[in-house]
Amino acid sequence: MTPAARERWHVRTPVLLVSVAAWIVFAIEPGNMALPAHCPAAMAGMTDFSAAVDMLLARPLSATMGWGLMLAAMMAPLLIAPVRHIHDRSFACRRERAIALFAAGYAAIWMPAGVVLLILALVIGMGAPGSWVLMVVVTIFALVWQFSPIKQSCLNRCHAHPELAAFGLAADLDALRFGLKHGIWCVGSCWALMLLPLLIWRGHLAAMAVVTLLLLSERLDSPAPARWRWRGPGKAVRIAVAQTRMQLQRS
Amino acid sequence: MAFTRRNVWNLGGDWADPILWYARGVAAMKAKTLAEPISWRFYGAIHGFNSQLWQRVGYYDPSEKMPGAPDVKRFWLQCQHGSWYFLPWHRGYLLAFEQNIRAAIKDMKGAPKDWALPYWNYFKPNQNQLPPAFASPDWPDGKGNNPLYVKQRYGPDDNGKVYVPMDEVNLKAMDDPDFTGVASGGSPGFGGVDTGFEHGGPVHGRLERQPHDQVHVLVGGGTRQDPGLMSDPRIAGLDPIFYLHHANIDRLWQVWRQNPPAHVDPPQDNWKKGPGNTGQRVFSMPLPDGTAWDYTPGDVADLSKLGYNYDDLSPATAAMQPADRLMRLGANAEVVKAAKGVRAVATGKNVELLGANQGALKITGSEASTSVKLDQGVRNKVAANLNLAKAAGIAEAAIAPDRVFLNLENVRGFSDATALKVYIDLPAGAKPADHPERLAGSVSLFGASKASMADDEHAGKGLTLVLEITDIVDALHLSNKLNMDSLDVRIVPRRPVPKDAEVSIGRVSIFRQGR
Repeated sequence: MTPAARERWHVRTPVLLVSVAAWIVFAIEPGNMALPAHCPAAMAGMTDFSAAVDMLLARPLSATMGWGLMLAAMMAPLLIAPVRHIHDRSFACRRERAIALFAAGYAAIWMPAGVVLLILALVIGMGAPGSWVLMVVVTIFALVWQFSPIKQSCLNRCHAHPELAAFGLAADLDALRFGLKHGIWCVGSCWALMLLPLLIWRGHLAAMAVVTLLLLSERLDSPAPARWRWRGPGKAVRIAVAQTRMQLQRS
Repeated sequence: MAFTRRNVWNLGGDWADPILWYARGVAAMKAKTLAEPISWRFYGAIHGFNSQLWQRVGYYDPSEKMPGAPDVKRFWLQCQHGSWYFLPWHRGYLLAFEQNIRAAIKDMKGAPKDWALPYWNYFKPNQNQLPPAFASPDWPDGKGNNPLYVKQRYGPDDNGKVYVPMDEVNLKAMDDPDFTGVASGGSPGFGGVDTGFEHGGPVHGRLERQPHDQVHVLVGGGTRQDPGLMSDPRIAGLDPIFYLHHANIDRLWQVWRQNPPAHVDPPQDNWKKGPGNTGQRVFSMPLPDGTAWDYTPGDVADLSKLGYNYDDLSPATAAMQPADRLMRLGANAEVVKAAKGVRAVATGKNVELLGANQGALKITGSEASTSVKLDQGVRNKVAANLNLAKAAGIAEAAIAPDRVFLNLENVRGFSDATALKVYIDLPAGAKPADHPERLAGSVSLFGASKASMADDEHAGKGLTLVLEITDIVDALHLSNKLNMDSLDVRIVPRRPVPKDAEVSIGRVSIFRQGR
């Protein structure tokens, strides 16, 4: 293993463990912890918007935990690069604290964004419960966003690694600010795709997994000029195939 | 057939055969259109391309026919920078380029079949001037149309006088015991950091940073509005001197490899088999017979197997041995004796921040300075580690004392020709030139323009320039001056930096690497 690979491994492993742990909780307790318990699909039979919102608000802690868990499962793998940046550029004694502040800033953007997405999904789900036509329309919209120049701009900024102050309050604020900024660009990049699993009741976990892989794949591509372009899992698939081939050759 | 790359200054004349045939080959390649894969400009675009920049320097007209999309996708924008593939990718590039030159001249009367690129070894005494064949618009075959002459080659003082100032370049990289390193603040290694396909990573390997990058910008010169071709990686491959410079860098790789077992190429499959092996882009060059040559670092690592050699592989410098440093740090005679003959000892794995300045540093005019505050705990760790050398037993001598690195992080700007000298702990009011012992090194912004754009491959992160300051820290330690709260860093540009170059350093930091 090269020195750089060793350093990557040291950060990647705990971050991926957080994600795996969240996926395991989802798999074990899908009814209680997972978002479908509160999501619009679960309320598909309701016709009264306020009743649905009331139901959601009646279990705020559970809803918050469900969304937080969904974020941890789906987004943690996307945070490996920025967490490495903070880890590498902070004093050894401040690394955990700086990473926690980054995560807090990141969550401070994604948690309220989750409320907006849930309400949006609720409105869409109640408008035409179980309608496959609606799903197709939403999917087309998500794909248009996926291939748009705005999406590329957001994605590019997810690759930005700002300079970080090293000492005292300034260091704390920089870590927090980095998390907030990263969260904003991440929401800009991912919100449309994140909406899809919220609308799918059957196969919700599978939809989450597919979206996670897509989000992870697009982060593997280098930043590029902002224009309309295909943004799919091509590079990730090629890497996966090559890695599998290498493993088979070894065995 | 055997091919020998020779020193351009020792060919026996300004227009000795190898350089004259090179010029004729370049002329033939230049006569082809951009759409032809073995044309001069197509080869330049393999290294880098930017339509606006190419237009600005007069090498591209938007109305001309472009190559087909598959050719662009396969061949263009390939150069590997800020990566452990830097050396092998450029070696393959040179090998393919030489084949094209040989093919271009093969039907000319008297053309040598064994033609090989000369190299420009600017480190040899009195050989730091631009070879004369490149400096005049006239040549033996014509007036005013010398294919080796380039108007946009402005030199270190931006006055058209092209040479490599010897106080701006060094061969310290040749002492680095490790081919590959880290991007986290410690040594990036002789050959660069382990990456995938990387068309411009932020942290360059030590040989790439110095002398490679430095010679690029010193030869190219220029400004933001009027850059020298060599100064920017997106246009550098258009200057014929580029290939002689890279032949020298390739030669230095061969020289470095002559010191096994410490100086060896990476044994990892990911390096030997290249990025194509992990599903990424494959290194690929168009050849004169219309085919494409796909290659890996493993294919080109052994030059002799490819039938190539250099006329001079003598050691570049009198390298400092590990025993010398142990002696300097006060190790006992027995330990020093045991360490004698050891070419290099492994660098420690722990990299950690030792100190940093506060706030971004703008570089304008002829000087900038900042203060790097040190963390007391980590500073004491470094001092204790250096003191260990005194008490070390023979077994401990196998572990290198801490190395220390200055990092200029997130360096952004739009004039790649900017060259900066970096001084540490200069006395107040002192003239930097009077204190060469405080010179941490010279760095340049080669690749910074591209790295500063938010919607380009670097996402606007800029470059991170790494300088080893172990010798300076050792000196401070030995004179009991390391016990300080901060270190002053003074940046002295070779030429005053104009405001419109927008040069800034996001953070100046110091890292230790060791046990």
